[in-house]
Amino acid sequence: MMPDVPDLSIPVSAPLDPAFVRRWFVEGVRQAMSGPAFFVAVAMIGVGGLAKVAGFPAGAAFLSTLTIWAGPAQVLFFGSIAAGVALPAIALSISLSSIRFLPMCLTVLPMLRTKRTRTLTMFVAAHFVAVTVWAESLRRLPDIDRDARLPFFFGFALACILNTAAFTTLGFFLTAALPTPLAIGVLFLTPVYFLSTLVRNARSAIDWLAMAFGLALSPLTQAYVGGGFDLLALGLGGGTIAYLVGRAYERRRFSA
Amino acid sequence: MSFNIAAGGLAPYLVLIVFGFLPSEVWRWISVVLARGLNESSEFFIYIRTVASVLLIGVVGRLVLTPAGALANVPLPARLGALAAGGAAFLIFRRSVLAAVLAGEAAIVLAGWWFVR
Repeated sequence: MMPDVPDLSIPVSAPLDPAFVRRWFVEGVRQAMSGPAFFVAVAMIGVGGLAKVAGFPAGAAFLSTLTIWAGPAQVLFFGSIAAGVALPAIALSISLSSIRFLPMCLTVLPMLRTKRTRTLTMFVAAHFVAVTVWAESLRRLPDIDRDARLPFFFGFALACILNTAAFTTLGFFLTAALPTPLAIGVLFLTPVYFLSTLVRNARSAIDWLAMAFGLALSPLTQAYVGGGFDLLALGLGGGTIAYLVGRAYERRRFSA
Repeated sequence: MSFNIAAGGLAPYLVLIVFGFLPSEVWRWISVVLARGLNESSEFFIYIRTVASVLLIGVVGRLVLTPAGALANVPLPARLGALAAGGAAFLIFRRSVLAAVLAGEAAIVLAGWWFVR
């Protein structure tokens, strides 16, 4: 059971109509397949090729997307094994790179929760949160009726993860055959898609400041913070500054 | 600890679960516990969302500024130019992410063809 959160927007009502649930699940699948599920899938083609180089079977490439469901962690995993890095060291670096799921899940899960949501459902939902699903959820969920959010989310996320798992497996068999300009295109997909999604999502001064400070500080933390902690330092440092400056700006604007 | 991945069988899958999946997944589990008391209209929620946004921008910055693999063959000004092409398409097509991705991709594949041929 969830502890009681005083939130009047959470409706207390009878179990949901199955037709309603099905409709929103399908709507989630449809919206994912109209773009996002393919962006993340194509961007992950390279992971399949890495798995092959590291000596893994095709099934492991497929399963890595279903289980880890994190591009950078999967690249780290197969890349480090191919390079002969010790397994405990690999586990540590993967865990560091996946700390970003903490703030991402923390910002999606409260949007999905209703009075009737079970904790097990939240664990399943958390598993599906990765960058693409996070960014698209932030944009799409606020406009959706609270009862419709979970079925929509599961439809959207399942379409993304299954499509990506299929493309990862495809990459296992064809990466070596990809001409260089197209391989470059695959590598560029993640930055161009994430950047445009962030710009699309930006609503408040804080959102824009997050982008400005993130871009400005990124080369600095990359150069001066080592040991895999640079992104974490960037997120906490840049995020705190962006939040404080944004809040101060809004206070001044609205009190003037 | 030693696993022979090349030997096949269950070993590669075991390595994947223990050293790949679990160290990553643990953060999602922790977040479920922490999210229980978190309200989406609270100030802390907004702060956490800002941290997550900066983290994501950091990933973008790293991929564009210090790319790995074949993308490194394209010089930095061309990589930034491709992002600008995406940005222009984004504005022209009324804030369309799809247009931005397609224009940015077309620009970078063209640049890739130009610099590696």
